[in-house]
Amino acid sequence: MTKLLDIESPKKDDLWLENLRTEALKTFRSVGLPQPKTEIWKYTKPRDLFADDFTINAPKQVQSFDVDLGFPAYKIEFFNGKLEKAPQDLPKNVSLCSILEAREKIGSLLKLSKYPFAALNTAFLENGIFLTIKKNTHLDKPLVLVNKTASGEENFFYNLRHLIVLEENASAEILEHYAYQGEEKSRYFCNIVSEIHLQQNAILHHYKVQEEAFKACHLALNLVNVGRNAHYDACCIQKGGNLARNESKILLSEESAQANMNCAYLMNGWATIDNTTYVKHLAPHTFSDQLVKGVVGGNAKGVFQGKIHIAKDCVKVEGNQLHRALLLSDTAEIDCKPELEIFADDVRCTHGAATGVLDEMQLFYMQSRGINEKDAKQMLIDAYLDDVINKIYNNDIKDWIKNRI
Amino acid sequence: MSVLLEIEDLHAAVGDKEIIKGFNLTINEGEVHAIMGPNGAGKSTLSYVLTGREGYEVTKGSIKFKGKDLLDLEVSERACEGLFLSMQYPVEIPGVPTTAFLKHAVNAKRKYQNLPELDTMEFIKQLREDGKVLGVDNEMLKRHVNVGFSGGEKKKMETLQMCVLKPDLAILDEADSGLDIDAMKTVSDGVNSLRDSKRSLLIITHYQRLLNYIEPDFVHIFANGKIIKSGKKELALELEEKGYANFVKEAE
Repeated sequence: MTKLLDIESPKKDDLWLENLRTEALKTFRSVGLPQPKTEIWKYTKPRDLFADDFTINAPKQVQSFDVDLGFPAYKIEFFNGKLEKAPQDLPKNVSLCSILEAREKIGSLLKLSKYPFAALNTAFLENGIFLTIKKNTHLDKPLVLVNKTASGEENFFYNLRHLIVLEENASAEILEHYAYQGEEKSRYFCNIVSEIHLQQNAILHHYKVQEEAFKACHLALNLVNVGRNAHYDACCIQKGGNLARNESKILLSEESAQANMNCAYLMNGWATIDNTTYVKHLAPHTFSDQLVKGVVGGNAKGVFQGKIHIAKDCVKVEGNQLHRALLLSDTAEIDCKPELEIFADDVRCTHGAATGVLDEMQLFYMQSRGINEKDAKQMLIDAYLDDVINKIYNNDIKDWIKNRI
Repeated sequence: MSVLLEIEDLHAAVGDKEIIKGFNLTINEGEVHAIMGPNGAGKSTLSYVLTGREGYEVTKGSIKFKGKDLLDLEVSERACEGLFLSMQYPVEIPGVPTTAFLKHAVNAKRKYQNLPELDTMEFIKQLREDGKVLGVDNEMLKRHVNVGFSGGEKKKMETLQMCVLKPDLAILDEADSGLDIDAMKTVSDGVNSLRDSKRSLLIITHYQRLLNYIEPDFVHIFANGKIIKSGKKELALELEEKGYANFVKEAE
């Protein structure tokens, strides 16, 4: 067990990989963990990650488990950071292999010195998928990445790295599901980086359901490059972890590129759940829209940081952002920071933020019909998050998610 | 005939302000009582005290419902025991579909009574039939609870809920406000269809008008937080003629 900054990855008999890892580790150590002054980590303090000791050795005597989806899908399963099962029946225009085979394609969207956890992730590059959906191919069933963790007594640390490419006119639906089973108080840290390239006219529906153990730390970084007339449609549901952050950087790099990023989060206890987005409109006629809604109880803290950047001369751009949160207790906290950086004329941008509490009159009305307080609150919470969930394009996944809230 | 509701020397306050000041009322099974009073008399407060809304504090007195101490029960337990309030201003609940809401309410009551949950198809069939009588069509049932409903539609929905939940005591708080003549007839027909020898009604109203449609057995005049005069249904007509002020003066 060592501190994160001192942790070493095992040597590999591969010069390219060895160099990549060594450089990344150097970067991580020189940049260090986010400091209190680091603006992009203003509200989310990964304190435990400084203080705690970690091991990269997977816990022994823990058992894997099954996650039932109940709808047709291509299922890729990871257990404690290692590939466990891959689908054998993928269509022929879909290529799926280990991230290590992506070689030089890795990291093109990423400046490691800006993302210390991505640098750390690169220093341990080994597990994850490299998926390519070839030109003009429509993936007929959702691809589900089930990331299972069952941790033991030691503070287990693992990394996953994915690279997803949708070629011209390709379309797919991908669901990432983070599931945990085992000791309630188990602690672990999973650090995920995904790079996604959408070429001309490609469409990706990218869903994520994060249900980590309540003491776990989950950090995810998504880097997405959206090409001409391509569409990135994301919906992220976060409800687990003690410290959980889903950060997305979206580059709308060519004309008519479009991104929708919706999030719902709900939590209790002492958790911090962070949704951070950075959308860069780098071409005219690009569009982005975000709806983020949270339900925060106990002593928990919800964080939303959303930045929309519109580059010079990018006319006819539309960028919308709305964050709303419900506070269920007096000690719950919401930190919200919307930012607009606009360097072009003739654009349309909106942003809004609102925080409220459950409506006393609605609660009373429901209870006066015989519905007990707990159920009435749950119904109102479901209703509150309903418009985020209803934006999910795939009905099977929508229903599956509704049942998990 | 057994006693359904027994209120004795009830005092209730909102914040520091005492609004109900020594209220007594006994309702037997099958009886229809009307409480009439001027604005600010405390009529809505009374309905909230009975149903248990937060912030309405009973400072003195007792309320017995079917022999049980009502004040010991939670809001939802009172409803499951058979108390229903048709609200003056029904609440909109965006995101909660009407049918799902009603089904949850019905099953909550059945669970409380140790009855098995209703089959969804059966429930919907019954709901549609009840709805038809009240002019609540399927399209309205698909919408979210009271969202985008007109004043009349909301009152019809309240009555439909009452038909579905079949309470032992229904409190109708200004059931006629915002209703045109046709809608008033529809709503009162709905209410009257529920009248039987067991079920009781407590009608809270400003005007005598509604009492032409739903005939009460007893009328009580309510002012300054208590009943100042009780009588048969003729009292309502007398009140309409003389106005509240005369009765209030008389009582003083």
